[in-house]
Amino acid sequence: MQATVVGSYPRVSDSPEGQRLRRAIARWERQEISREGLRAVQVDVLREVVREQAAAGLDLVTDGQVTWYDPLSHFAAKLDGFEVGALERYFDTNTYYRQPKAVGPVRWRVPMTVDDFKAAAAAARTPVKAVLTGPYTLAALSARGPSDDLVMALAEALGREVEALAAAGATDIQIDEPAFVLAKEFPKLYGHIAGLLLRRKGRARTTIFVAFGGVGPFLDDLLMLPFDVIGLDLAQGASTIAALRTAEVDRGIAFGLVDARNTRLEDSKAVAKTVLSFADRVPLDRSFLCPSNGLEFLPRVRAREKLEVVVTAASLVKEGMP
Amino acid sequence: MTRVLRTTTVGSFAKPDYLQKARTRFSSGRIGEGELDRLTRQATKEVVEMQGALGLDLFVHGEMERGDMVGYFGERLPGMRPGELVRSYGNRYYHKPVIAGEVRWDRPITVDLWRYAQSLTDKPMKGMLTGPYTIVEWSFDEHYGSRREAVLAMAHAIHEEAAALAKAGAKYIQVDEPAIHTRPEADFDLAVEAMACVVQGVDAEFHTHICYGDVAKIYPGMLRLPVKQIHLAFKNADFELMKLLEADPWDPRKELGLGVIDVHDHAIESQAEVEAGIRRALHLLPPERVWVEPDCGLKTRTPEEVRAKLAVMIAARDAVRRELGA
Repeated sequence: MQATVVGSYPRVSDSPEGQRLRRAIARWERQEISREGLRAVQVDVLREVVREQAAAGLDLVTDGQVTWYDPLSHFAAKLDGFEVGALERYFDTNTYYRQPKAVGPVRWRVPMTVDDFKAAAAAARTPVKAVLTGPYTLAALSARGPSDDLVMALAEALGREVEALAAAGATDIQIDEPAFVLAKEFPKLYGHIAGLLLRRKGRARTTIFVAFGGVGPFLDDLLMLPFDVIGLDLAQGASTIAALRTAEVDRGIAFGLVDARNTRLEDSKAVAKTVLSFADRVPLDRSFLCPSNGLEFLPRVRAREKLEVVVTAASLVKEGMP
Repeated sequence: MTRVLRTTTVGSFAKPDYLQKARTRFSSGRIGEGELDRLTRQATKEVVEMQGALGLDLFVHGEMERGDMVGYFGERLPGMRPGELVRSYGNRYYHKPVIAGEVRWDRPITVDLWRYAQSLTDKPMKGMLTGPYTIVEWSFDEHYGSRREAVLAMAHAIHEEAAALAKAGAKYIQVDEPAIHTRPEADFDLAVEAMACVVQGVDAEFHTHICYGDVAKIYPGMLRLPVKQIHLAFKNADFELMKLLEADPWDPRKELGLGVIDVHDHAIESQAEVEAGIRRALHLLPPERVWVEPDCGLKTRTPEEVRAKLAVMIAARDAVRRELGA
């Protein structure tokens, strides 16, 4: 049982020093600093975020996605075949993303996450998990929706990114597919899609994470996919817990039990107790405890406190494991 | 004012440099409340004068006293606690308040500055409120645990504020609900119920502003909102929303707030494109029921951009009015 995060981490805090990235972006927009000048601040904040996660005691950290404008346009802007358009609400959050629109053949062109992964790996004492927005979600939240052709083309393109991450030394790769919670039925092709995505993953351990809702009806489908770990939002998607109690689970679960969308702090003991209630069904030695989704929806101070809940609960689980 | 193609704005204006600096100095304790208030009023006066010079029909006070439309109320309603910074999108952040206890209303929040702004002009001044659904949605709820309970408690508090504005003389009150389409299936009825609670028995004309997100999902349902005018951001997505109104007719008892100026684009619109936008609406609605406005609050633009954009908006409106012989 290890403690991890799902992906994003607050990139600013309330102190003046904590807002240096915000200021740098504003200065870059006014052309007062160069792209390189902005990048230096981004990397500085990325390192700080990595160290903060490690200091909280996480076993597996991320780069905090501090350079991402949003989880859609970060990829769409760098892939061939997309235009990036107007602001749209990101799920039921009060955040917005620039909506991509496929306008031509979608192809991988350049690494999209590798530089940040390397910067994080260089700053971290722990392994770093690389995170990609999945092909289904990129297609589903784009202007024309998840046609099979688009999802397939994205799987090919993101498979190249997985390959680039593996070549850069990524030992943990997570694919985020929150848009599954919007689907009426589980996308039938996804087993094939996952195969395309992961075929050049090397020895990396892989996770698929579904946040922003429950996946009870699809849990069996998720458990058929070729990922080592299935990540579940069990706060907003608390309804999944019941499905998990009757599922056949032969792999790790990332238990997203700590609510990353509400400042109210959970009781670590209660969180640990919930995880331990799955000890007879889920291989906890291959599982993770984590927030329910990326932590960027919380203020920095509270995100840090949530990490402590995760870490404390994970150690209580370890103590209580049979 | 003639009722043909009236103009107004959505609420916020760009804060002048001196006020931005004063707000920073105030938060670090370097100036007192009196000095900040004096500069806030000075900036408010400038906003009112700008609207007068441009020739708008219904004025706003510009929200010079507000950092954020939710945080402002979050800092002043009993039961709420000021929050810390979270990101909204891109490089935009806001202080997301916390509902820490039972939400109440104990004194007017917006009335003083409204009264001051109204004293500066003979044109009507809109009262500006954030709607209960949006305040709850853009806060952390550590107290209620049920969105319904939290939203209805908030609606009672905002109703008190609306009543205080009307009592002070506000004839128009805008209740912004930019978050209203966050959960269209689950929550839209709740948002309508909350708006009904806000306007209940208050003697003023109510407007609402809804922006971005999936507006299609709440149309034509939004026509159930008990307000006179519903304002939507048309320009940002090149009048794509007009297709909704073309497919399902607008409610003949309601007025349409037509967003014709993109507040997220530095480029100043051409008069021809604004005129074209207005004419599209006139295919569907009589000009007496169309208000010409920017897409959203103008605080995202510089004061110079605001002036230029609004000047184009007014010129386009005037040109279309002349065509109509109004």
